This record gives sequence, structure tokens and C-alpha cells, in this order.
Amino acid sequence: MDIFADLMMGLSVAISPINLLYLLIGAFVGMIVGVIPGFGPSAGLAILLPVTFGMDPIGAIMMLAAIYYGAMYGGTITSILLNTPGESATVASTFDGFPLAKNGRAGPALVMQAGASFVGGTVGVILITILAPLFAQVSRSFGPPEYFLLAMMGMLTLLVMIGSNWKLGVISALIGFALGTVGVDLETGQSRYTFGSAELIGGIYFIPIAIGLFGLGELFYAFYNGLHKTGTGGIVQYDKEERFWPTAQDWISTRMTMVRCSILGFVVGVIPGAGATIASLMAYSTERSVSKNSENFGKGEMAGLVAPETANNAASSGAMIPLLTLGIPGSASTAVLLAAFLLWGLRPGPLFMEQNPELAWGLIASMYLGNMVLLVISIFAIPLFVQMIKVPYRVLGPSVVVVCALGTFSVHASFVETYLMFAAGIVGFFMRLYGFSPAALVLALVLGPLAEEALRQTMTISRGSFGIFIERTPSLTIICVTVALLVLLPLLNRFGNTNAGEAEKAGS
Amino acid sequence: MRRVFLVVLLAGAIYYTYVAFNDLNFLTRTGRPGPGFFPRLIGVSAILITLWTLVEELRKSEDQRERTNPQAWKDVVVLMALAVSYAVLLRLFGGFIATVIFLGVTLMILNRSQPMKNLALAILIPGGVYLLFDRVLNANLPPALFELPI
Repeated sequence: MDIFADLMMGLSVAISPINLLYLLIGAFVGMIVGVIPGFGPSAGLAILLPVTFGMDPIGAIMMLAAIYYGAMYGGTITSILLNTPGESATVASTFDGFPLAKNGRAGPALVMQAGASFVGGTVGVILITILAPLFAQVSRSFGPPEYFLLAMMGMLTLLVMIGSNWKLGVISALIGFALGTVGVDLETGQSRYTFGSAELIGGIYFIPIAIGLFGLGELFYAFYNGLHKTGTGGIVQYDKEERFWPTAQDWISTRMTMVRCSILGFVVGVIPGAGATIASLMAYSTERSVSKNSENFGKGEMAGLVAPETANNAASSGAMIPLLTLGIPGSASTAVLLAAFLLWGLRPGPLFMEQNPELAWGLIASMYLGNMVLLVISIFAIPLFVQMIKVPYRVLGPSVVVVCALGTFSVHASFVETYLMFAAGIVGFFMRLYGFSPAALVLALVLGPLAEEALRQTMTISRGSFGIFIERTPSLTIICVTVALLVLLPLLNRFGNTNAGEAEKAGS
Repeated sequence: MRRVFLVVLLAGAIYYTYVAFNDLNFLTRTGRPGPGFFPRLIGVSAILITLWTLVEELRKSEDQRERTNPQAWKDVVVLMALAVSYAVLLRLFGGFIATVIFLGVTLMILNRSQPMKNLALAILIPGGVYLLFDRVLNANLPPALFELPI
């Protein structure tokens, strides 16, 4: 009953007119971010984070969260109509989404993806409502050793998921950790890597780096890939089809797919480093394995669209659990969200829900409302998003540069940070080009100072002995879970990619 | 080019580690981990892994190396140069004027077939951004070092 009362309290916070407006704007902007190929939720969040500075913290966090999960809805529209995923988590949606559109079923595919996203997102929020307090309860016994291990678990699982380029991922993470050490050491007061600059005493700020890497870096990379030259001639004309709405058979045949993939996506989302992309690929592969119509996958099977859509939305909800209850982001997007919390002076962790019930439960309640809003937007505003898809990248690109630059400047009115953002953009481009991982860098930049503080506290407690990590039961449990994930995740990743690859070939 | 990038990273890692060992203490006077504790771990790890990657890269045969596409490079270098120029313009002329100039020039280069549309966008977008940041959000826009007489 406590959970229900807390949720009602959260709902009363979330449904204030101004918060509803922020939620609506966030959902809409999230859809737009998702629709633009080359920009994922992390880019959208990083670019728009400065815009929220004038807002009330609860409204700002609700809006940013809506951008985060709203991007999952938007990314599929281009997957279906253009065979171009709006972001990586909707790659699997192209396998059957585009063939469905080519077969004259673009309308039903668009509605079904909205429905599947809604189911995945809502099941994910229900599971957050039930599990987040339990996670917070368990994590109360955690001390510095456990926090250090959790941060390492987040990094290691992310690096494992990078696959064959893991060494480049490690280098990216080390760059992030190194940047995190710049500034005054809070324990001794000694300056580190500031080179006499007053601007660097407070450390390298997270926002310019994130905006540069995800905003400008991705834009440069999109230009390198010639996205600014491609038109939208291949867009499927869904409005000329006979039937827009799905049939009852579409819903009936995919109802169990939605249930299975919601749970699968949520579980994968909770694992730090795994994220929505892996969840969607795994869901697709799993569904293909259990389906009676597996031979139709890749040729326009509705379950093949519903599975990844349900999973990626459930995963984005699942990723909120380690963020809210442990203060550990599992992905670049949640790292940006964590940075937003920190900017507002809020520190997610075991006591976060207890100390900030209005914000925590307001956020959870807003996710229920956000999914409803997104369901409506993603069905009835499709013509608007189609118009947006038609805006050429060569026009969109320069506008993104403007928003990145002015957004960065607006945070601290600092030209140094603005120049840092441009530098991060150029570095981010080379990182993407040569197979490095900007996400690992950003995650390490956020986790680095937390991990360092926890490690130094641990070493102080243990008087320099690393044995403390196996002497404490919670630490040992985290080590065992990490080892299990390191063994299991590459296998699951391979399973997902192999089956998805076969489906892609079948469809092409 | 990947080799050059790795060499730059290696040089950075070596310098970072040098500072960590030279200027930062590994332990504090009381025997606790000092400000150099974490940087030394990071620096040494970065050198080792970057070296390993670089050696692997050098061993790659000609066929395995990445192919460069001159046209793709041209477009991205142009955009980067325009973006860097924009950073300079922001300092000189402030947020609004710099944005008008940047968008005007960039759109004229990238979207040559629609000059009137480019002109309209070069004025409307900065106007919209000004309204959003300055009026709605009450946020800072870059001030001008030199005021233009417009």
C-alpha cells in the first residue's frame, strides 16, 4: 500500500499544469530527436539539458526523462517508412518494419509500433514502481567498496558489449576517467592537471564534453557518411494505403510477444551497459526462435516489429532502476540524466527515493503519463514527423551546430566551455570514425570521480588491502554478478546479432 | 589516419602519466591514497593498452587498413572549419550576429540551390533561438566583443 500511496503522491506532483506542459514538450522533443537519423537520446538530452536550467527541478527532470524514453518511440518512424533507423535501438525495427511498409502495411505497422512501445514502456514503469523501492532497500547496506564495484560493473559490461573493438572501448573509458581527474582534489586540495587555469580548478565540466561528443561529433560523422546528400525519395507513402489501422488479428497474434519482450527488455535494461539496443536485438532473436512463423521474419512479420519495439521501451524504463536506486548510470543517455540530477544538486542512490519522494515518485508517475502522451502523439502526429523527416540534413546540420554552441554557452556563460565543446565535437568525430566509443568516454567521465572517491575511501577503510572486496558479502555478490554478466552478455549479444543478421539478409 | 590518432592518444597518455608520477603524490602523509593514486592507475593502463592497439594497427597489412574517401573528408572538413569559425565569430560579434553570419554562409555552401530559403532561415533561426534563450529561458547568450552597427 505504501507504493500505491507514494505513486498517488507522485501523480499529484506530475499532473500540475506546468509539469504536464513540460512533459508534453519533452515527449514531443523526444519524438523529434528519435526521428532524426544520427541523433540518439543521449545527443538530444545533452543538447537540450542547458535549456532546462531556468525550470523547476521536478519539471526539468520529468521533461528530460520524457525526451529519453520519447526518442524510442520516434526512432521507429524512420525505420518503417525510410528503412533508416532514427537511432541504434530501432535498428531491429527495420528488419520487419520496412518490409511491412513495402507490402502496403505502413499504417498498421506505425500504429502497432506505437502500441508495442506503449505496452513496453508501461510494463517497464509498473516494474520500476514495484522494484525500485526493493532495490533501494537492498542497496542501503552498500558502502564505498560496493559503489566502486558497481561503477566498475557498469563500465565493464559496457566494454564487453562493444565486442571486438573492446580495446578501443577501454581507451575511450580511460580518456573519460583521465578527464574526470582534472581539477582540485577534494581530499587534499591539490590541483591536478589544471596548468594554472582558473577555469579548470572546478574540473572539466560534463555538459560541453557530452554535447560535443554526441551532438557535434555525431553530426560530423553523419556528414562524413554523406547523410546530407541523401534525400527522402525512398519514403513510403503510407497515406495512400487503403487501411491505416491494424486488424484485430495483428493485436491477437502479437499479444504474447508484447508480454515476453516487455519483461526481457526490462531485465536487459536493468543490467548496466546492456541497454535498449541489445534488448531490441535480443527480443527480435528470441521472438524469431519461438515463433511458428519464423520463416516470415525479415519479410514483414508483425511480431518481428512488435518484439524489438516493446523491448527497447521496456529497457529504457529498466535502465532507470540502477540510476535512481544506485546512482549508477548504465548507458550514455542515463549518464546524461545523472548529470542533470547532479546539476540540480540531487544525488541519486539508496536514500534518494526516501529523501526526495516528491521528485522520485513524481518522475515515476510522469512516466505513466508520458507513455500515454507518446502513444497519442506517435499515432496522430505521424504526418508532422513525416514532414520533419523531409527536412534535408544539410539544412538541419548547421542549426544543430548553433543549438550546441549556444546551449553550451548558456550554462555558465563560458567561452572556454564553448571552445571545449567544439574540440570535443572534433575528437568525437574521430572516435566514431576509428571505432572508439564516445559513450564509454562519457560514462567514465561521470563515473570516474564517483569511482575514485569510492576507491580511495575503500583503501582507507581497508588500510590499503584489496581483500576488502572479497571479505564483504555485498561486494562479493557484486563481483559474482559481474563475472556472470561478463560471461553471459557476449553470448547473448552474439545470439542476438546472429539471428538479427540472418533476418536482415532474408529481408534484403 | 587511425595510426596518427593512436599516436596522439599515446603521447597524451604518456604526458598524463608523467604528470601523475612527477607532480601528484601516490599516498598522503597519513598513508591514505593520494591525488596521484587514481591518475597513475589510469595513466599506466592507458599507455599499455594504447601501445598494444598501436602495435596491432602497425602489423595490419595494406588490405586491412581503412580506405579514405576524399569527397567525404572534404564535406566534413568544410563543416568543421565553418563550426570553428563560428566559435571565433561568437566571441567577436556575439550570439545573434555570429549565428546569422554562420547560418548564411553555411547554408549557401551546403544548400546552394535555394538561396532565398537560406536567407530566410539564416534570419529566422537566430531569431527563434534568441527568443527561446534570451526571452523565454532567460539564459545567457554570448555577448559581442565588437558591436556591429545594426
